[in-house]
Amino acid sequence: MIKYKEGEKVRLVIIGNSAAGLSAAKTIRKYDQKSEITIISKEEGLAYSRVLLPYVLREKVDYNNIFIKDKAYYEENAITYIEDEVVALDTLEKLITVNKGQAIRYDKLLIATGSHAVTPPIEGLNGSGIYHMWTKNDLDDLLPLFNQKKSVAIIGSGFVSLQAAWAAKCRGLEVSIIEIADRVMPNVLDKKGSEVMANHIVDSGLSLYTSMITEKVERQEDSSFKLHLKNRQPLVVDFVIVGAGVKSNISFIQNSNIVYDRAILVNEKMETNIKDVYAAGDVAAGPTVFGDKHMTHALWPTAVEMGEIAGANMIGKQRRYQGSLNMNVTQMYGVTVASMGIFDDEQIDGSYEFPMDQYKGYIKLCYKNSLIVGACIIGESESVKLLGKLRPIIKKGLRIDCDPEKIESYIDIQAFQNRY
Amino acid sequence: MKIITMDTTKCVGCRNCELACAYMNSNTSCERTYSKIRVNHYIDEQTLIPLTCLHCEEAWCLNVCPAAAISRDENTGAVIIDSDKCAGCKMCILACPYGNIQFDEKDLVSTKCNLCEGNPRCVGHCVGAALNYEDVESFNERARKKVDRKIMDAIKHQCKSMEVENDK
Repeated sequence: MIKYKEGEKVRLVIIGNSAAGLSAAKTIRKYDQKSEITIISKEEGLAYSRVLLPYVLREKVDYNNIFIKDKAYYEENAITYIEDEVVALDTLEKLITVNKGQAIRYDKLLIATGSHAVTPPIEGLNGSGIYHMWTKNDLDDLLPLFNQKKSVAIIGSGFVSLQAAWAAKCRGLEVSIIEIADRVMPNVLDKKGSEVMANHIVDSGLSLYTSMITEKVERQEDSSFKLHLKNRQPLVVDFVIVGAGVKSNISFIQNSNIVYDRAILVNEKMETNIKDVYAAGDVAAGPTVFGDKHMTHALWPTAVEMGEIAGANMIGKQRRYQGSLNMNVTQMYGVTVASMGIFDDEQIDGSYEFPMDQYKGYIKLCYKNSLIVGACIIGESESVKLLGKLRPIIKKGLRIDCDPEKIESYIDIQAFQNRY
Repeated sequence: MKIITMDTTKCVGCRNCELACAYMNSNTSCERTYSKIRVNHYIDEQTLIPLTCLHCEEAWCLNVCPAAAISRDENTGAVIIDSDKCAGCKMCILACPYGNIQFDEKDLVSTKCNLCEGNPRCVGHCVGAALNYEDVESFNERARKKVDRKIMDAIKHQCKSMEVENDK
């Protein structure tokens, strides 16, 4: 724990007011009521959950439900909240330069600034009428369009893109999905899973174009867009949502000595190369359960975990991260889609597909060196439980001695015997 | 804090707990789909396991919920889901290592055991006294004694067989 001199308060500063930052603050306050906590965020308004944005678009969730902390939370936990943009960082003087207000001093700093959506270099793919689906501002831009417009093109078919597309479909828009790769959700599903998912998308009445290159986006006089596709008739839509991945928000550290690649490199304690500077969440690249040293998932659960570890270490608890395990889950196109760990066909050396009737859907276990390293699901809610039970097994790299089709009962009995 | 504990050696697999839970939660039906406790029958292994939420001290579902819909009840210590806040993203189901969170397919939200505000119906209807609502500490104490007894029995058994060896 931090040793205090008489009357001295340690200044803990967190840049970022979302999953990682808030998780760190919560962890700090769990053990330490004395330190000063300051959260700096450039996003206006209350902390919100990015995960819920597509659900609001779909009208499954009320807009106000996206806010995960109210003003009182900060007061009750003695957290100073500053709404400002960090523009530079001096790690020698331990000084943060912000856009509007006075410079802020820190004793220990957590960088949890998240990520931003990127736009692929396609001619005409910018300006009004072209949107992302990553922040609350994006949601605010899109909500009225979902009421007024009739057709939308989604460029990209990642997890968030497909959720946005599904929301548009649910709201009665005509939806076209354009994916440059040869399959949908390449980062969330294996090859066969992509095929299964593509069928659900098409069956739900959306137009899906894979292996499709968008050459140019042309703004028309009636403010609609003409998308010029390679070797195909152009597509005319009212507006465009771009989902081409995200990049870490690290512009303000360019002139500091913090080591980064595409994200800030952190060790298992969420420490950067600079003393007293930590990073967590989408902005950080940390260890995975599979032994990778630096990986960024841009996933909510990973951010929560990393924030917790960072917070604990900022107050001197020696906490080491077991490593992140990527996980995704949602319900869309009438099915539950979930995946976890390693499922890319190139990276595994074995797999087991459950009979379709056992869990009522497509469920695949992925193996490497006879250990389960990942799984994919396109099916029903009940099968997500299997993934939950597999999580600790993948994390710890436990060997399972049973036929794969009986794995769930094997785990249940084992868990019970260990507990009782 | 009190939790629902389960003694598999006493469970007879009657599923009364499921019925009681289902009725408590639905007010209209004893159908299994409404129940937050599940008695799993493992026929090949000849094992019965009644399973419901353990209200983990470090509840991963609570920490990970992106809607901040999961919290701890101040009075009972139960980990509870606010269905008005739940977005139905199923992250909690993926987070639970025991499969103890259910999905309500009608309202499209996650649901789970809330300890019936301190009066769990499943316990009251358990005919085999397999389910108990008890203090975590006293349960751990009991579990430890049980393990101790097992070790003692094993040692005794070993000693006996040694005596037999010596008599030869």
